[in-house]
Amino acid sequence: MEANAIKTAQAGTLESMDCLVMITEWSAGRLVEVSGGAVVRFKASMEKHINDTLDALGTDEPLRISVQDNGALDVVLGARIEAAYKRYARLAV
Amino acid sequence: MEINAAKRKIPSLIEGYGETSGKLYEGVFARAPHGYRAGPKIRTAAPNSGSKVTGGIKEAVMASGLKSGMTISFHHHLRNGDFVVNEVIRACAELGIGDLTIFPTALFDVHKMIIPYIESGVVAKIMGSVNGAIGKLVSNGELGTPVVLRSHGGRPRAVMSGDVHIDAAFIAAPAADRGGNISGRTGKSACGSIGYAFTDAEYADVVVAVTDNLQSFPISPVSIPGIYVDLVAVTDSIGDPAGIVSGTTKVTRDPLRLLIANYASKLIEASPYFMDGISFQTGAGGIPLAVTAYMKEAMKRRNITGSFGLGGITGYFVDLMKEGLVRKLMDVQSFDLKAVNSIASDPNHIEISADWYANPWNCGVAVNMLDVVILGATEVDMDFNANVNTEADGALLHGIGGHQDTAAGAKLTIIAQPLLRGRIPCVVERVHTLTTPGEVVDALVTEFGVTINPRRKDLLDAVADFVISKQIPLVPMEELAARARAMSGPMEPIRVTDKVVAVVEWRDGTVIDVVRRIEK
Repeated sequence: MEANAIKTAQAGTLESMDCLVMITEWSAGRLVEVSGGAVVRFKASMEKHINDTLDALGTDEPLRISVQDNGALDVVLGARIEAAYKRYARLAV
Repeated sequence: MEINAAKRKIPSLIEGYGETSGKLYEGVFARAPHGYRAGPKIRTAAPNSGSKVTGGIKEAVMASGLKSGMTISFHHHLRNGDFVVNEVIRACAELGIGDLTIFPTALFDVHKMIIPYIESGVVAKIMGSVNGAIGKLVSNGELGTPVVLRSHGGRPRAVMSGDVHIDAAFIAAPAADRGGNISGRTGKSACGSIGYAFTDAEYADVVVAVTDNLQSFPISPVSIPGIYVDLVAVTDSIGDPAGIVSGTTKVTRDPLRLLIANYASKLIEASPYFMDGISFQTGAGGIPLAVTAYMKEAMKRRNITGSFGLGGITGYFVDLMKEGLVRKLMDVQSFDLKAVNSIASDPNHIEISADWYANPWNCGVAVNMLDVVILGATEVDMDFNANVNTEADGALLHGIGGHQDTAAGAKLTIIAQPLLRGRIPCVVERVHTLTTPGEVVDALVTEFGVTINPRRKDLLDAVADFVISKQIPLVPMEELAARARAMSGPMEPIRVTDKVVAVVEWRDGTVIDVVRRIEK
């Protein structure tokens, strides 16, 4: 990997009832960003589910998680987060 | 603050609308008309003038005597292809006419061009349904006064009863002659029925036909006769055909929606109304169109024919008539090219006014002859109340259309809707905005089955055989709500301010609900 490349992995689609998850390396802590039509009514529960999923995967690395949501239920959101994180974790440092 | 019969909190005074005491919703059929109809100014065309053609839109606005502060009306049959609203407002601005109240049947995204004129005060007030960018502007509280939302029947009622006086009506005319006779059937901007414009023509003090297709006198058939029309404005184009009619309206191919349509169709088949002479309205949405397709099968299988299809008419309804499955179409708005061609050529395809279609205060409203209507809704609550006006975030989404009128008129009112749109549940504890009271909603159909309003015990009995034979799964409202909650998770409330951005009138002119500005 080149010195200035940013470690990035993604999972999901922008189909209805799915979401596109992008995980990138981050300076410190965990930044969770969610956007999409459902955010106005479900922001807190989406953020909680993203954090719970990542915690369950045992990560405490600094990460930036961007979710473009198109109506994903928690079960889909969790699966996309897990897939994106596992792809991210496989990347060479 | 007042509380109306639908248990909604309504401010005693709504700035820009007025006092609400005496105007609060009392019940579906509680309010009866009294007194006499309002009327327009009596006037006559100049004797022997021969022609009402006055030049273009700007000349017609000048000749109409339109002044600042007046109310002008429009109809939306040209839908998202309409040029007339934009051109008239622009002409008013150029002529220094402002502080106008516009009274369209509906505004679409194409009308976002008038936003600068709203900001500059040319347009001060909107009474009519607002979609797209203007809806967003209104939701954000950027219009000084609230918009007033009326149903397709409530609007002509408001005009004939004097609630709204139209100073000038501008009627998009796909065909017109120098005598002011108007038709929507022919021309490059043909839109079929112009039913929403009839009342405006009859009750406005001055009526301007705006046409891009001036024919020799007299045209035939005539939709709006020149006896109501003062001026004819000729312009290059009144609309973009691509936005006026869709080429084809398509039945959904989504298996979930097809399942819902199938359940709805079974419910109709099981109901006591499924017999020779059945009448129905299904609109142009994906699910209702699929219901029409399933009903066609059922009608053939059970060898029954319908009497009429009502409302906004699509090519699917035209096919039903051509195949002899319904005898007549009563058309207030022709949605696609096939419907436009049909109304232009088939006398069994009848053009009806919004008054005839849906006005609760006349002697022959078509919705009262209706057996079955299939509707949609963004939200339905535990009491079967329906919201079609606001989106999940509380912003204005849609006008009322014929929702209230058909629900109140039809013997069987079905709302067919997926339980979830994305993550947003359609079944909620309490609708954010109340458009149509649950008292006139008989059933909700989702992918989980049919949920019948407990008020309709007769309907529950009627579907028993279909339930036993597993053609209809019955789902109680409580179970549906629990399923929605389990899948979507807890919803955060919509936070609103006290500012009223829209007043929702019940079809009889009472205030059934208000829409408040969302907190930013």
